[in-house]
Amino acid sequence: MIAPLALVGLIALPIIVAFYMLRLRRRDLPVGSTFLWQQLIRDVEANAPWQKLRFSWLLLVQVLIAAIVVLAAARPFSAVESDLAANVVLVVDTSASMATSTGDENRMDLARERARDVVGRLPVGGRITVVAAADTADVLVSETDDTDAALEAIDGITVTQLPGDLTDAFALSSALAQRDADSTIVIVTDAAGDRLPEVGVGAPVVVERIGATDANQAIAALSALRRSGGAQLDLFVAVSNPSTAEATRRLEVYADGALIDARDLTIPPGQRSEALVTTVPGGARLVEARLAGSDALITDDRAFAMVPADETTRALLIGGGNAYLENALALLPRLELYAVDEDGSADAIADAAEAGTPFGLLVFDGVVPDEPPQLPAMYLDPDQDAAFGAVGDQIENPVIDRTDPDEPLLRFVDLSTVHIGRAREVELADGMHAAVETTGGNPLVAVGEVDGRRIGVIGFDLGESDLPLQVAFPLLMSNLTEVLLPAVEGILPSSMRLGESVSVAVDPRIERVLVTNTGSPELPGATDLGVEVSVVGGRVTIPGADLVGLREVRAVSEVPELSDLPLGQTAINLFSVDESDVTPGDPQRIIEMGRVTSTDEPASQPTRAEWWWPLALAALALLAVEWLLFHRPTRRSLGRAFRRRPRRPLPLAGRAR
Amino acid sequence: MTATQRAPLFDEAFLRRLEQLELASRRMTAGRMKGERRSVRRGQSVEFADYRNYAAGDDLRQLDWNAYARLEKLFVKLFVEEEDVTVHILVDASRSMDYGEPNKLDAARRAAAALGYLGLASMDRVSVAFLGDGSATGMRPMRGKRRALELFRFLSEPRAERLTGLAAAARAYASRMRGTGPMLLISDLMDPGYLDALRDLAGTRCQLSVLHLLAPDELEPEIPPDARLVDNETGHAVEVSGDDDLVERYRVRLAEWQAEIGSFVSRRGGAYVQVPSDLDLADLLFDLLRRRRVVE
Repeated sequence: MIAPLALVGLIALPIIVAFYMLRLRRRDLPVGSTFLWQQLIRDVEANAPWQKLRFSWLLLVQVLIAAIVVLAAARPFSAVESDLAANVVLVVDTSASMATSTGDENRMDLARERARDVVGRLPVGGRITVVAAADTADVLVSETDDTDAALEAIDGITVTQLPGDLTDAFALSSALAQRDADSTIVIVTDAAGDRLPEVGVGAPVVVERIGATDANQAIAALSALRRSGGAQLDLFVAVSNPSTAEATRRLEVYADGALIDARDLTIPPGQRSEALVTTVPGGARLVEARLAGSDALITDDRAFAMVPADETTRALLIGGGNAYLENALALLPRLELYAVDEDGSADAIADAAEAGTPFGLLVFDGVVPDEPPQLPAMYLDPDQDAAFGAVGDQIENPVIDRTDPDEPLLRFVDLSTVHIGRAREVELADGMHAAVETTGGNPLVAVGEVDGRRIGVIGFDLGESDLPLQVAFPLLMSNLTEVLLPAVEGILPSSMRLGESVSVAVDPRIERVLVTNTGSPELPGATDLGVEVSVVGGRVTIPGADLVGLREVRAVSEVPELSDLPLGQTAINLFSVDESDVTPGDPQRIIEMGRVTSTDEPASQPTRAEWWWPLALAALALLAVEWLLFHRPTRRSLGRAFRRRPRRPLPLAGRAR
Repeated sequence: MTATQRAPLFDEAFLRRLEQLELASRRMTAGRMKGERRSVRRGQSVEFADYRNYAAGDDLRQLDWNAYARLEKLFVKLFVEEEDVTVHILVDASRSMDYGEPNKLDAARRAAAALGYLGLASMDRVSVAFLGDGSATGMRPMRGKRRALELFRFLSEPRAERLTGLAAAARAYASRMRGTGPMLLISDLMDPGYLDALRDLAGTRCQLSVLHLLAPDELEPEIPPDARLVDNETGHAVEVSGDDDLVERYRVRLAEWQAEIGSFVSRRGGAYVQVPSDLDLADLLFDLLRRRRVVE
């Protein structure tokens, strides 16, 4: 029994019997004569408060009802087989795609319901850990056998706007599972593009997959580019349709809150449609794109972008000359491009420094300088070791591996159709990380910071691939330039992803900074509306945002000129292809993260099947029987009240009273 | 409400139907006056009964001269005398009768009035009495339809203020009654001395008919789960738990009791009729009592 204390209620049974032995205060009922009744009833003259207990069906029924109610309250159960282990780690996906909601489907509600069902299937004496997982994992209750606490925690789970990443959740689950060999990891998820760790866990994984709809469209890209001269802006918007049906959506564009453009976009299934808006005023600071109407996921129907400041950087291209590369770099509005061969590069750099117009970026195409430059540098097809790492042999026909959708370098870049004839083996130095790799793990595109200098590497000759012929090339070059020359608006970059944190330097006199989020508090999961962060040693770490919109940082200081000083603004967007594709995914890839059991059938465990509800039904039925059998006068008077008809007059005129 | 304010017991049509009936008298009895019933006495009717030898002083008009011519002996012809009979109608007026819906005493008054009128219309002597309080209160025997109003007035007088004592009242009536004939007892017999009362009345050489009058809720009681039954007559209370078991036991006991009374009365040549108080009077007289040969 789950609540054996309820058996104290059995004390009600002797009390009921005592009531039957106690002489009751009875209702007087006049009768013509008790002549016949006296022959039926014995002991009628007893005046004592107690009388001899006689058998009564009514007493039997009432005692039975009381016993059943007490038994039900004690929550008896029987052991039945369960597919769960004694130690269950329950992970509930709270990533943005779980906010999917249509008329008959609310994934978060379904997830909570499925999680409650898992708690109900917990084996006898089993323990459960409840984890809410979005981009990180949050343990709500840890290894408890209190199912009520687990249910309460499940009821408190809410969806976020963050992209899904089960790496943390798996690491945590693995650690918990290692304490008990008899563990099961249950993941309640829509399996819609959550990132998974590279190594599995040492326990079986059970996936409770939810969701059915795929009817969603998303703003997949929003980028504001200043044209040459800086007087006007071009706004690039891409709308994706991951669903299986063609969709027509109205795209609305706002500049500093004012509607400046609206157009209908028809997007084929599985593709995306792009729009270039050229009517954005040059003085605009914040632009927003919206998809009018609603779909399954509204979090990705809005996107924000800060307009870059009007500034340019002088860049020097060193190499034998590559028309595609030169064109791509020359088109970037932030760059003022110069080109020189390898031999004249040192002089050109020195001359520019002396003239007071130093270069801000060096691009080495197929060459590597003897001395590492003290500037941000981009290397294409390097033929020898440099600051970025060591260069090895050539690789023939490398195949590009699956790319990280959250990698800033690959923002809006689709490399799925790119072919490379030959690349170089590269072993990256500390501080560098690969953004694009071959299936064999060799870096093809990498960025990083070595000795305080930003470095980018493209490990193959552009002439040996079809990349320069594709739309991805200028975008990749643009992104690479953004990474190497981050556009800083105050202390914050112009654009950040949901959940991304950043550590920045501020005036040491500032004690704290106030971080506020504005833009879309009505979207699901909007909770991070404002937080104060302390400044330590002149640096402050701005925590990751969990809300799409505009993020603003202001100073909090007792110095009058610093008080409430705006320090920076940034746009926060989802821009997650995986989260916007709300189509429920294949759970097999998650299941395969778990330990492969030696038998085909999962080991079953005894669990509890509670009996309280059939007992409650039985008590109700007995109550009905008692009323039908023992309250007949009441029943009849009720019946007469409904059936009352005028009485037939007597045939004789006799009885006039 | 006084008796004079009561509406007439019966209407004209009903009285005319009543006059077509008469109380059955299965025994020949000796009446007090010449009437329409055959008497055990020899008298002046046209129905020959017997011969006897002539004795001095006999009416010579009764001599059978034909017999004298054949046998040369004088015989006197005897004829059946037609005399009236006395109809005794006894109404139990104990408080137990003042109960029920319809009221048992009211039903008894109406039945007694109808049966009394039936006797008056048959030129019988009708004696009506209320039994209760250990005594019998009646009116002088009456004869002829002209006395019907007087009969009705007597039956309409307020009653049911008496205690039980059915046996004592019956014995008192039996000891002072005059004349024999049909005797109709209308009672619920809810009295411990009911058998004594029936025995005394059956011992009067009258033809006893018992109209056992019970209210509907005495036949089919509806008792709440916890009730205290208060006797309308004695005030005595009985505590019961009105479950189906008790009600069933009551039904069985009631049936046994009725069978016991029926058997007792039948053994003494009488008729036993169970009468619910809600039975229509016309149904009682023209159907039930006729089938039980109480009236014909």
